[in-house]
Amino acid sequence: MANLLWLQGGACSGNTMSFLNAEEPSACDLVTDFGINVLWHPSLGMELGENLRKMLHALVSGAMPLDIFVFEGSVVNAPNGTGEWNRFAGRPMKDWVSDLAKVAGYTVAIGDCATWGGIPATAPNPSESEGLQFLKRKHGGFLGPTYKSKAGLPVINVPGCPAHPDWITQIVVAVATGRGGDLTLDEFQRPKTFFTSFTQTGCTRNMHFAYKVSATEYGQRKGCLFYDLGCRGPMTHSPCNRILWNRQSSKTRAGMPCMGCTEPEFPFFDLMPGTVFKTQTMMGVPKDMPLGVDKAGYIKLTAAAKAASPAWAEEDIFVV
Amino acid sequence: MASDKEVVLKAIADMLENGLKTEVEPFPETDKEFGDILLQLRRLDPKDLKGKLVVGGFVNHPYGPDNQRCLECMYYLVHRRWCDLPELAVPVEPEWWCRLWRI
Repeated sequence: MANLLWLQGGACSGNTMSFLNAEEPSACDLVTDFGINVLWHPSLGMELGENLRKMLHALVSGAMPLDIFVFEGSVVNAPNGTGEWNRFAGRPMKDWVSDLAKVAGYTVAIGDCATWGGIPATAPNPSESEGLQFLKRKHGGFLGPTYKSKAGLPVINVPGCPAHPDWITQIVVAVATGRGGDLTLDEFQRPKTFFTSFTQTGCTRNMHFAYKVSATEYGQRKGCLFYDLGCRGPMTHSPCNRILWNRQSSKTRAGMPCMGCTEPEFPFFDLMPGTVFKTQTMMGVPKDMPLGVDKAGYIKLTAAAKAASPAWAEEDIFVV
Repeated sequence: MASDKEVVLKAIADMLENGLKTEVEPFPETDKEFGDILLQLRRLDPKDLKGKLVVGGFVNHPYGPDNQRCLECMYYLVHRRWCDLPELAVPVEPEWWCRLWRI
């Protein structure tokens, strides 16, 4: 039986909603099939008031083992580093995070806010938010760059806005069943099993990407969303088109651009007017190329691809 | 008998061949500048072919040091010989160019 505690800092509860929608395995499966004891969760926790505080103190003191500490939302430090803007169970949440992370077997950050600071940490960052071990791309965050949980791993980052339900429950199951040591993490401490391939991997519009045919409006049943509508699929690490949302679709499949929400810089361009859902270009060439592609090669590829494109690439092919 | 598309294509070709002066410069270097041109186009009557050519900055030959052409542009549909940018939506030749060129 592994004890799991889920706390929430500066958050919208989106990752909690995602978690509760998990199917493989589901939140209930965690308890019934994998022996996870959910000590407390913002939407599921039974304890209130003094009982909750006692439990938290028991965890901090070591009287009760904390096997998995899950944190959702940013660590709020405002005002002036006190954390008083986000109090929980009688003290600033950041103090609980600091104490609980020291005794946790594994510490798991769920969603962009807990991993990199997310939207709350976007400039001017009035809540002085940061992620558990990163602030955007900068390693360190609230717990510092050298932090390791008792199992010897740094914070396991499961980003996304929100994270996919199955990414959450599958990682939780892995660490709860003693397979945490098998996890390999990338440079941003994301499990490689999910975050090595790109959002574009498995995208149904890859043919249109190859032949350089652009979608020009949302929901269009032809065309690639990268060229004009700001899709970040070619440079975003996520399995959104391998592990489908609601088991049947993804943003790009539905005709909406990927916003790159699993990357530390999200939201990109600090949400300046006209930058969202619009490919940023310089002299007509995208500022952000697909990862590993240079400008000269991209222009040559475009000319060749357009010249070779078949007629069907110009038609609506996703007809129901 | 020529299709409507061919008639329009010939009309455009004739206007460019006869020296229609279009706003080739300035090239929109930023997305805001690009968006401003789109706004100008949206204010036009969709049937105002000459207005589209002028605001779009059309020329009937490749343009710039890289010899940019409609052929490489993301909005160009090769088989239909068509510019699919909603604000333009006109037939074009692959060797032409306009300042809304993007790849």
